[in-house]
Amino acid sequence: VTATTAQLDAFRVRVRRWCDDYVPQDWRAAQTGVPDEDFVRFQKDWFQQLRRAGFAVPHWPQEWGGGMSVPEQMVLYQELAAHDAPRLVLAFVAIHHAASTLLAAGTEQQKRRHLPAILDGEIWAQGFSEPDAGSDLASLKTTARREGNHYVVNGQKLWASGAAHADWCLLLARTDPLAPKRHGISYFLMDMRTPGIDVRPIRNANGESHFCEIFLDDVAVPAGDMVGAENAGWQVAQSTLSAERGMTMLELAERLRHAGFKWLVQTCVTPAASGKRPIDDPVVRDRLAAFETEISGLAGMCGDLVERHEAGLAGPADASIAKLYYSELLQRVMDFGAGVAGAAAHTVLEKPLSSGWESGAWILDFVGSWEWTIPGGTSEIQRTIIGERGLGLPREPATGA
Amino acid sequence: VTAGFAEVHDDLRAVARDILSGTTPAAAGGASPVLIPTRRLADTGWLGLEVPEALGGAGATLAEAAIILQEMGRAVSVSTYLGSAVLGVGALNLVEPGPGRDNLLRNVATGTVGLAVVMPASDDALDAPEAMTLERSAEVWRLHGAVDLVPDAGEADHLLIVARAPEGGSVLVDLTPSQPDIEVEPRPVVDASRRLAAVTAGGVAVRDTSVLRFAGEADAGARRVVERGALAVACDSLGLAEAMLDATVSYVRGRHQFGRPVGSFQAVKHACADMLVHISVARRLVGSAVDAVAAGDPDAWVAVSRAKSYTCEAAVEIAGKAMQLHGGIGYTWDSGIHVYLKRAVLNRSLFGSPGAHRKRLGARFG
Repeated sequence: VTATTAQLDAFRVRVRRWCDDYVPQDWRAAQTGVPDEDFVRFQKDWFQQLRRAGFAVPHWPQEWGGGMSVPEQMVLYQELAAHDAPRLVLAFVAIHHAASTLLAAGTEQQKRRHLPAILDGEIWAQGFSEPDAGSDLASLKTTARREGNHYVVNGQKLWASGAAHADWCLLLARTDPLAPKRHGISYFLMDMRTPGIDVRPIRNANGESHFCEIFLDDVAVPAGDMVGAENAGWQVAQSTLSAERGMTMLELAERLRHAGFKWLVQTCVTPAASGKRPIDDPVVRDRLAAFETEISGLAGMCGDLVERHEAGLAGPADASIAKLYYSELLQRVMDFGAGVAGAAAHTVLEKPLSSGWESGAWILDFVGSWEWTIPGGTSEIQRTIIGERGLGLPREPATGA
Repeated sequence: VTAGFAEVHDDLRAVARDILSGTTPAAAGGASPVLIPTRRLADTGWLGLEVPEALGGAGATLAEAAIILQEMGRAVSVSTYLGSAVLGVGALNLVEPGPGRDNLLRNVATGTVGLAVVMPASDDALDAPEAMTLERSAEVWRLHGAVDLVPDAGEADHLLIVARAPEGGSVLVDLTPSQPDIEVEPRPVVDASRRLAAVTAGGVAVRDTSVLRFAGEADAGARRVVERGALAVACDSLGLAEAMLDATVSYVRGRHQFGRPVGSFQAVKHACADMLVHISVARRLVGSAVDAVAAGDPDAWVAVSRAKSYTCEAAVEIAGKAMQLHGGIGYTWDSGIHVYLKRAVLNRSLFGSPGAHRKRLGARFG
C-alpha cells in the first residue's frame, strides 16, 4: 500500500499529537539512577503504551498486529526521535530478531505461540556469541544433542543483552560436531525457565550490566522449539540478522539527528565559567557544521536503505555500510562532545536508562559508543563484508584448522 | 522521483557513460585529459538540457544536468559544459526573459555560442558573488573589475558577468571578449582537465540591452548561480571519486604480491570499504542538494553547502587513497591517477572551500 503525501502528512500530525500526549514528561530525569526493576517496569509500560497506539510493532505483518507501510514507519521513527521518546531497549530482540526469525522460518504453531506473547510483553535475548566465538561466530561450541523428543544443550553464551529479564532466548547450538563449522549448527527457541540455565550479568565498560553470560548445563529444549531444519541454523540466522537493520538504523540515525545533535549544539553554546562559549571558537563551529552534514547524510542513507530493502533492491553490503558509518560517526560525535564539555562533564556519573547514545552524559555516551563499534559485527568485520560482498574483493586465504 | 523519471535518469546516465568512456585518459591511450569539442557536446543534446523547450532545449532541470556533471567527473572530461551549459544557462534561466537572453539560450543549445559566468570561484563568491561594478557615467554604463580563475572563460563567445549595480543588487552583464577594454587571459593550472581564465574589465562600455536583471530578488539570483557552481563541482567530485574506487578495486583484484591478490589483505580491503562508505554518504548529500535546487527550495543552500563541503573533501581523500593503493604505478604519470587527484583538489577549492561552506552552515547554530 503506498500512501499519498497528504496521507503521510496526516499520519505525521497524528503521531505528533500522540507524542505530545503520551511521551512521558521528564522521563530522562526520572529514569536516571533507578533500580533495575523500575527500568523493566518503565520499559514494559512504554511498550504497552505504544502497542495501544499501534506503534509497537509497525514492521510486523498486519495479521500479527503490524502492517504499517514503510513510509509511515519512517515517519513514526522520525517523530518518536524528534519528540525524544524513550527507546524500546528491553523489547528490542523480541520485536526485531525473534519476530523476523519466526516470520521468516518459524512454523505456524511457533508463530502463534510467540508473536502474540511478545505483544503481551515477553522479553527475548539472543544467545549467539560465545567466549571463543565472537567475530568468528560460526566456530561456536555450544552443543545440542538429540535425546528422544528433546535436544540436550550444553555450553556457554556471552553478550546476551537483557538475558537477566528474558523469558525466551534465540539460541544457536551445534547439532553436528563433525560437519564443517557452518553446516552443523541449529537454531532453537529456548525457554529461559528451563532447568540448567544460569544467567550472570557482566558489567560493561560503563559499569552497567545489561549484557549477560548464560551457562547451559544439560538444558532440555523440546525438538518442536527448533526453527528451520536441523543443521540449517546458520542460514536461518544469516537471513534474519540483517532483516531489521534498515529500520533500526533509521531510528538510531534520527535520534542522533534530533536529541544527539541538540545536545551537541546546547553544549557548544553554553558559556563556560569564563563566560566564553565554545561555539565562538571557529574550530568548534566548523566541526559542528561538519557533524551536522554527516548526520544528515547518515539519516538520508538510512532512509534509502529502508526503501531499497523494501523494494528488494538493497545491495549485499548496504546494511553494513550504514552500521559502520553510524557506529563510527556516533563515536566521533561523542568524542567531540566530551571534549567540548570539558572536565566538568566528568562529574556526570549516571545517564538515564531507556535512552540511546544521546543522553547528554558525554563521557558515558562516549565510552558507551564502543557498544556500537564492537557488537553486531565489529567495524573491522563490517569493512571486510563491504570489501568482499559490496566490492567483490577476494577473500582472505583461510589459515589453520 | 517517480519510476518514470528514474528510468529517464538511468538512460541518460548510461548514454553519458558510454559516450564519455571513450574520452577518459586511459581509453585515449594516454595520461592526459581529452578535449570534447563543443560541436560534439551539442550533438549529445546536453548543452540544451536546461534550455526551455520553447527555445530549442529539453526543458530539463539541474537533476538531469547533475547526471552529466557526475559522468564528466567520472571521465575527467575537458569540455565547456560547466561554463556554458550549467553556469551560463543556469544564470540566464534566473534573469528576466528578453530577446537578448532568449537568443543566447537558443544558441547555446545548438553549440553555436559558448558562455562563461564571471564570478569569483574562490571563497569570496559565498560572501559577494559580484566582483565587478557597473557604473553610470554620462549616460553610459561602464563596467570595472577583475575576476580570476573563471571556468571556460577563455573559450566563451559571451561572458556573463555578475556585477554590482549602482542602485545596489546584482545584475548579469552580457559582454563579448572581443569588446575593447575587456581582457581574457588564460590561467593554466596544474589540473590539465580544467580551463580557467582571468577576466579584467577596465571601464568597458555596456549597452542597456546587455544588462540582464535577475527575476525576483536580485542578490538571491546571484547567490543561486554561485550555489549552482558549488553543486556542479560536488557532482563532478562524486563522479571522479566513483571512478577512482572502481579503478582501485579492479587494480587490487588483479595485482598479486606475497602470492595473493593485494585486495585480499585487510589493510587494502578495508581502505576500499571506507572509500565506498564515503561515496555512499556523498551520493546521498549530493542527491538531496540536487533535489532541493531543482525544486527551487529557498533553503537549498544548506543542502548545497553540505554536499559541496563533504563531497569535495571526500573526493580528495579517495583519489589520494587510490594513488596509494595503486602503489608505485599509481604515482607514475602514465597511470593517469594524478589527473583525478589534481581535479579533485581543484574542485575542493572552486566556489567555496569546505571550510567556507561550513562557516555558512555553522552561522545557523547561534
